Amino acid sequence: MASGLPHPLLLAPLAGMDSITINGEVVNFSHVFYTWIAMAILFSLAFLVRGQIKLVPGKLQNVFEVIIGGLEDFVVSNIGEDGRKIFHVLIALFLFIITMNLLGLVPGFDAPTANVNTNAAMALFTFAYYNWVGLKRWGVGYIKHFCGPFWWLTPLMLPLELISHCARPLSLTLRLFGNIRGEEIVLILFFLLAPIVGTIPIYFLFGLAKCLQAFIWFMLSMIYLKGSLEHAH
Amino acid sequence: MVVKKNKGANPGKYFDTMGTVGTIGLHMVSHPAVGAVAGYFLDDWLGTKPWMFITFLILGVIAGFRAVYADTKKVMRNQEKEDNERFQRKD
Repeated sequence: MASGLPHPLLLAPLAGMDSITINGEVVNFSHVFYTWIAMAILFSLAFLVRGQIKLVPGKLQNVFEVIIGGLEDFVVSNIGEDGRKIFHVLIALFLFIITMNLLGLVPGFDAPTANVNTNAAMALFTFAYYNWVGLKRWGVGYIKHFCGPFWWLTPLMLPLELISHCARPLSLTLRLFGNIRGEEIVLILFFLLAPIVGTIPIYFLFGLAKCLQAFIWFMLSMIYLKGSLEHAH
Repeated sequence: MVVKKNKGANPGKYFDTMGTVGTIGLHMVSHPAVGAVAGYFLDDWLGTKPWMFITFLILGVIAGFRAVYADTKKVMRNQEKEDNERFQRKD
């Protein structure tokens, strides 16, 4: 976990997945290992739900229907009917991030999102995806999204828009990384101060904060997709 | 969905506003940072030592303020919508 801070129990060193050697260089691998665990959890849950889908939902199906249905309503009320076409990407990102965030609260596991590489990969994917959606929708006319409201403002607006578009993946990455890494460090420090007793109350706060961070990512990528889908100014 | 939620107790709305407010601070920082980095590398590439850096830093600051302005507008719009809903329900 948190660089250099002692961790009482972690699964990755036990499984021998703490670091791997590529071309003679030792590379930190634990966040990839925990990402695999998050993927395994999501895959098994998905197969479990798919296997017993009913018209009258059971417990597990109900949970997923509330989350996915509620968020789909949220997206459709913000973007409009176009939102249904891109919703699968948004909800996949949301479920993936929330699983990885909450994995940090499970003893023995670490949040993969506490490593900046995981977040950078997802942020670059989000950046590429919304630009691709915009290009597919508007073709060459997508450039109008960068040109501002009037043609004579283009020389000023083009660099401004380019900067603000490039700042999006940066701020997505740093926000998630900073929040989750900070929470992991605080958890470790509380654990050092008063083992178990000190960490339990803070779990509720961090559970909320981690859900909020996943939702922020979801909401921001929705806003970016909305910007690339709707007509330029 | 089968279950209809009570509009007044919709936690999604507060999450929405909380999310927007939480992004404002980092937008203020990330835009100038991207501008500064872009300007630095343009200087290296074009050999115009301080000028591109200064220009793009200023552009980044302007872009940052623009982003903060847009976020503020979004928060205020949400607030207005909520006020309208509350006002109508009282009638």
